[in-house]
Amino acid sequence: MRQALILFLMLLLAPVTARAGGAAFIINSAGASISVVDMTTQQEVKRIPVLREPHHLVLSPDGKSLLVGDTAGNEMLFLDPATGAIQKRLTVADPYQLGFSPNGRFLTVAGLARNQIDVYDAASMKLLKRFPVVSTPSHIAYAPDSGAAYITLQDSDRLIGIDLKTLGVLWNQPVGKTPAGVLWLNGKLLVADMGTDYVAQVDPADGKVVAKIPTGKGAHNLFLSPDRKILWVNNRAGGTTVSLDAATLKPLRSYAIPGGPDDIDFAPDGRLWITRRWAEKVAVLDPATGSYQTVAVGRSPHGLFLNPKAPAPVP
Amino acid sequence: MDDPFGLAAGWVQETLLIPLLYQLGLMRWEDIAFGWALFAVYGACQVVITFAVCLPLERWRPVERWDDNGAVWVDALYTVISRVGVLPLVTFVLFYRAQVAVNGMLADQGWVPPTLERLFPVLLGQQTLTFILYAIILDFADYWRHWLAHQFRWWWALHSLHHAQRQMTFWSDDRNHILDDLIAFIWFGVIALLIGVPPLQFPLLVLVLRFLESLSHANVRLSFGAWGDRLLISPRFHRAHHGIRAAGDRSCNYGAVLPWWDMAFGTADFTRDYTPTGDPSGEEALATGTYWRQQWAGLRRFGRALLPPALNR
Repeated sequence: MRQALILFLMLLLAPVTARAGGAAFIINSAGASISVVDMTTQQEVKRIPVLREPHHLVLSPDGKSLLVGDTAGNEMLFLDPATGAIQKRLTVADPYQLGFSPNGRFLTVAGLARNQIDVYDAASMKLLKRFPVVSTPSHIAYAPDSGAAYITLQDSDRLIGIDLKTLGVLWNQPVGKTPAGVLWLNGKLLVADMGTDYVAQVDPADGKVVAKIPTGKGAHNLFLSPDRKILWVNNRAGGTTVSLDAATLKPLRSYAIPGGPDDIDFAPDGRLWITRRWAEKVAVLDPATGSYQTVAVGRSPHGLFLNPKAPAPVP
Repeated sequence: MDDPFGLAAGWVQETLLIPLLYQLGLMRWEDIAFGWALFAVYGACQVVITFAVCLPLERWRPVERWDDNGAVWVDALYTVISRVGVLPLVTFVLFYRAQVAVNGMLADQGWVPPTLERLFPVLLGQQTLTFILYAIILDFADYWRHWLAHQFRWWWALHSLHHAQRQMTFWSDDRNHILDDLIAFIWFGVIALLIGVPPLQFPLLVLVLRFLESLSHANVRLSFGAWGDRLLISPRFHRAHHGIRAAGDRSCNYGAVLPWWDMAFGTADFTRDYTPTGDPSGEEALATGTYWRQQWAGLRRFGRALLPPALNR
């Protein structure tokens, strides 16, 4: 009886212990899987198979589901953000990049291979409108009032603005050679240009470039720190992650992160988790010391999500 | 456990391809470049493994010995072009893009193309088993492609380049006319599209199958025994397909990896024993010409085959 009680208590406590450090979800885009990593031990504890080629993921506005887009599988997976258990599967054409509007009303899905941008009603998952574009829509940003979505068209030189009230195109403007990551910051849009070594600052009113901020070769993606003080930029060709003062956009520090740095998420302990696309690793960077630890995951790690994470920036 | 193929491809990507693409202003190709790097790494490894396994076998018990084996070196060139260069590029750029486009279009209509994993969800995550099942299906499809290549006059005109080799070795598997290769890629690609072979699994699948195909062409007296020959195609079994008297539509043993399809459809012949190879009906350039002379001779033969018989004298 005593042994049975001990076993019962162990079983009861086991999941709590496993979750105590938190779970990092890393998408292995060329491995058709999602790695679940214990954030304390930094060891992969589970690998969730998906159909074909997942790339990005996003938390639903109610925080109950983690949406994962499987592009070549034409499928959207809904996962439990705590356990990784699959809640449901939806057939969606080429869901490459996903993003909910700040008010939670819209879900924008960029179909990179099929050259389309789909705007869904987030609550019902009803497709409101499809925008055929030229070409390869890749990253998404929103205006803080959820009035507009901005999507980079990576294989062109363009950024497109979409009015979410009328579901019409606001403008479609050239912003650089190979525009990738896009972010709304201080009333302007920032666009990382993978074909050059700078981030373009764009006026959201007309899509015109107003400034160019050098960051490093192949500027690919950019993220705002939870306290909104630091802008982080990953430079794909240069193999660096750089920090900039978010207010002045002046460079602060550069960190060597080889292996194609791509997406970033912020851990509660202040460290940055960075996917390294060609190294099959995630770098866990301590920005104070500049050193990083390495977490082995699957092939071509791309999108990532930390649970828990540092509080998200409030627009 | 680290994945050596992925890490090697990552090194190629970061050290060679990305600096080049950045300099040339072609960073939009960076994702495709990594896919190509993966294919090329698989291909290079396969050439090395094939060489390491087949060469000792050929030295050990050769069927034939030649004083001048110049024709074999042209076959080696075919192998490198096919497995490290052209195969990866064509497969990844064309096949992958086509698959995404077609599947996405179908998904828009509410129809999801069948995949083994959707039909049998128990396979999801069972990579080895899924891999074997896909290989069997693709081998079946390839049996019919090969059989058809021997039935149509125009197709045989192209395919006869493969059969022209009198000094057949493990390098001979890839000595194909470029148009014949293109047809095979389209055939394989369409079948893979229909059954949903994962694009990034596809190269490994092709390369494993083709290692076995290379072995079946080897210049070696090697049979897997009465039972083994009926399980997997051996050099003895496939040599009968390349025999002089088996050229064209009189051939037998069309299978690439598994002899099951020949046995099921009455085209298997287990009796022919290490016959000389070649195609006496083809011109000499197809057998002993340089790479380009062989291609040109194959193209001319193809052109003649398309002409009406009255004009083809």
